[in-house]
Amino acid sequence: MRSPYIAQQRAEHGRRAVAVLPVHYPKEILTAMGLLAVEVWGPPGAPVSAGAGRLQPYVCAVVRNALAFLASRRADAVDAALFPHTCDSLQGLATLVKDFGGWSRPALVFQHPRGAERPSSRAYYLRELLALADALAPIAGAPLHVDRLRDAIALHRRIDEARADLLDRRRRLPLDDTALYALLRRGEWLWPEDHLRELSDARAAIRPDSVQRGVPLMITGYVPEPASLFDRLRDAGAVVVADDYAAIGRRVIRPRGPLDLCDPFSALAELYWSAPPCPTCASDQDARMRHLLDLYDRSGAAGVIVHQQKFCEPELFDVAAIRRAFAARGARLLYLEGELERDLSSQATTRLEAFVELAQGKARPR
Amino acid sequence: MIGRRVQFELATWVAGPALAAFERAKRARRGERSTSQGSPFGPPLESTRRLKELMTTHYLAGRYADGAVPVAWVTSGFPVEILRPLGFHAVYPENHAALCGVQRVVPELSDAIEREGYSRDLCSYARADIGSLTTGKTPVGRLPRPDLLCCCTNICQTVLYWYRTLAAHFRVPLFVLDTPYVYGEAPEHHRQYVRDQLDELVSMAERVAGARITAEELAAVIGVAREGTRLWGQCLEQSRARPAPWTGFDGFFHIAPIVTLRGTEPCNAYYRMLRDELTDRVARGIGGIRNERHRLLWDNLPIWFEVRALSTLLAERGFNFVCTSYTNAWAEAGSKIDPADPLGSAVDAYTHIILNQDLPNRLDVLRRLSRDYSVDGAVLHSDRSCKPYSIGQIDLRQRLARELGFGVLLLEADHGDPRAYSPEQAEGRFAAFMESFS
Repeated sequence: MRSPYIAQQRAEHGRRAVAVLPVHYPKEILTAMGLLAVEVWGPPGAPVSAGAGRLQPYVCAVVRNALAFLASRRADAVDAALFPHTCDSLQGLATLVKDFGGWSRPALVFQHPRGAERPSSRAYYLRELLALADALAPIAGAPLHVDRLRDAIALHRRIDEARADLLDRRRRLPLDDTALYALLRRGEWLWPEDHLRELSDARAAIRPDSVQRGVPLMITGYVPEPASLFDRLRDAGAVVVADDYAAIGRRVIRPRGPLDLCDPFSALAELYWSAPPCPTCASDQDARMRHLLDLYDRSGAAGVIVHQQKFCEPELFDVAAIRRAFAARGARLLYLEGELERDLSSQATTRLEAFVELAQGKARPR
Repeated sequence: MIGRRVQFELATWVAGPALAAFERAKRARRGERSTSQGSPFGPPLESTRRLKELMTTHYLAGRYADGAVPVAWVTSGFPVEILRPLGFHAVYPENHAALCGVQRVVPELSDAIEREGYSRDLCSYARADIGSLTTGKTPVGRLPRPDLLCCCTNICQTVLYWYRTLAAHFRVPLFVLDTPYVYGEAPEHHRQYVRDQLDELVSMAERVAGARITAEELAAVIGVAREGTRLWGQCLEQSRARPAPWTGFDGFFHIAPIVTLRGTEPCNAYYRMLRDELTDRVARGIGGIRNERHRLLWDNLPIWFEVRALSTLLAERGFNFVCTSYTNAWAEAGSKIDPADPLGSAVDAYTHIILNQDLPNRLDVLRRLSRDYSVDGAVLHSDRSCKPYSIGQIDLRQRLARELGFGVLLLEADHGDPRAYSPEQAEGRFAAFMESFS
């Protein structure tokens, strides 16, 4: 589905495409430069080529599958690849495919600052944004235009508002989780205006009263794969009412204050530090726990699913703290771990069903 | 505070040396000195005794450091030189975890925190240290509570997540020195970023210590650290001789002072002693193993719990690891620091750590070491607990083998957790590898 869309974008709008690895990157810059961002989260399932064999089995499936995918030439519909520095494995992948083969097109890196916001990190982030824009210019065929960046930021703000609204008013949205997550994840590769149109259509369907009757659950993790997880949740009688996936909820930014677009680069920096706490950015762990508990309380969830990818260090380091935080709150918690399989295993499904049954008794009025 | 300081000073200057002397006497009574006739190793290094004394004193002093002097927990690639003039006692959780690995207590410590939700897939260093915090168990008696946590991303991003966990546990300030990964050359704005952070580090460290750093003191410490690095490099270079006067596995243990005591005079005094002993052994033709037939390169961290067994297995067949990319890293980075420009030179030194540079640089290092030390084979430790060191090794193995025309073994293991290691499989793989040399 993505390749025809990429081809269509190129044919109809002259837009070139950039494959983007997880997680955080200033998509607004790509949009402003007319570049279609096509995110690569794996893809799920077995690796599509023997290229995965160049990485040890203890490297996470997202990275191994991405290497196999890039090396298979199935990503050749795009003009370049962008590697944000999310973890050691993605950092290693960037040099592996660029320097030792596996990707013959331009490979760019984006190294966002890690740790607390400081004058040094803010100044660095601004310069890194400019460096990215410079690096993208030959791919886009033109330099970044500041007015277009302002427009792109405004466009992505509307997208974030729509996504936030859909997540906040989840129970009044007449879409099941499978459909909602499919909609949200289409933003990983659709041109932003196309994505916004779909989001707006979904918003228009929001009802005055709650239509989601399932056991309300909160979910946190890296990426919502396999998608069949949501079918199993629905079958078990549950609905996701709060999301903290790195791929979804942690990229829905609610700015700390009014955004000043006079200097769009400063606005992007402001957005970066307004994002929900994420371990891949080394956000403070206490701040993250407060954020998760707040999300849980606001949503009225009756339990939490921690859904991780095996070997994902940034996420795995927080699991114990999450367990402690929610145990102290008396919340039920289910830990699920996967390796980017195409389907949820029967064993995981059984655990999920049992968890939903237990959580049912804890459902709280909202 | 005064009482605590007195305890700390006594531990440093009296109890530590006294304990070391007692241990020395005990060993002398047991007659540990000589190597048995059938051993494949050369005579033990005299300096090892002093190493034990130095590290015993360091850890003993650490027990009394909190409340006496400011305490910082620091990653191995952190510019500790900036903390030294402020009187910080530096604790290296990685070094502590390595000790846990040597003593095979990682499974016990890890089990304790796996019950809390920590995954066994996390770095075994981190699991050992967090497990030690949780259980209070440590092979060094006690680690002092930190006033400041200092983490540098130049060795991995794991330390970032690990130190966030420590910060949440201790509720003390965490300073992250973020060193962007170097692809080819570091762009100017990356260097400026690191430079700016060093200024912020100085301010934070001064605030925590309640003291100020003078330019003279900082330059002096930087000078001492550079000299220590140079001395460590000279120790390693002795293995260019045939036979190498010690083994690469010896180097894994003798690296401790340059990691934990870098920028101090006792560190440098120790390496002068070691260098002189190694030089003497070279002059006298004394090898680290008795019959050095083949010379190997080791890449990645050691398998701490298996060092002795592996070195014996290899030494018995005349194989010696004469160089390792891991020990070499400590001789390279510090050589770039310069007392004339302490902070500016620290940018270069601490950004250009082997693990913070791309794979072509890594391949260059392995090539250079292979040639400089005249090796005829290499073992790449594919370390389940260290992804930044291990990613790319499958390609590196092929390139090294093709370019240098020698055998390269990729060995699956873990630097700290024996549960991720199969001695039988490893022995079988080594046997096949060694047979290929005949």
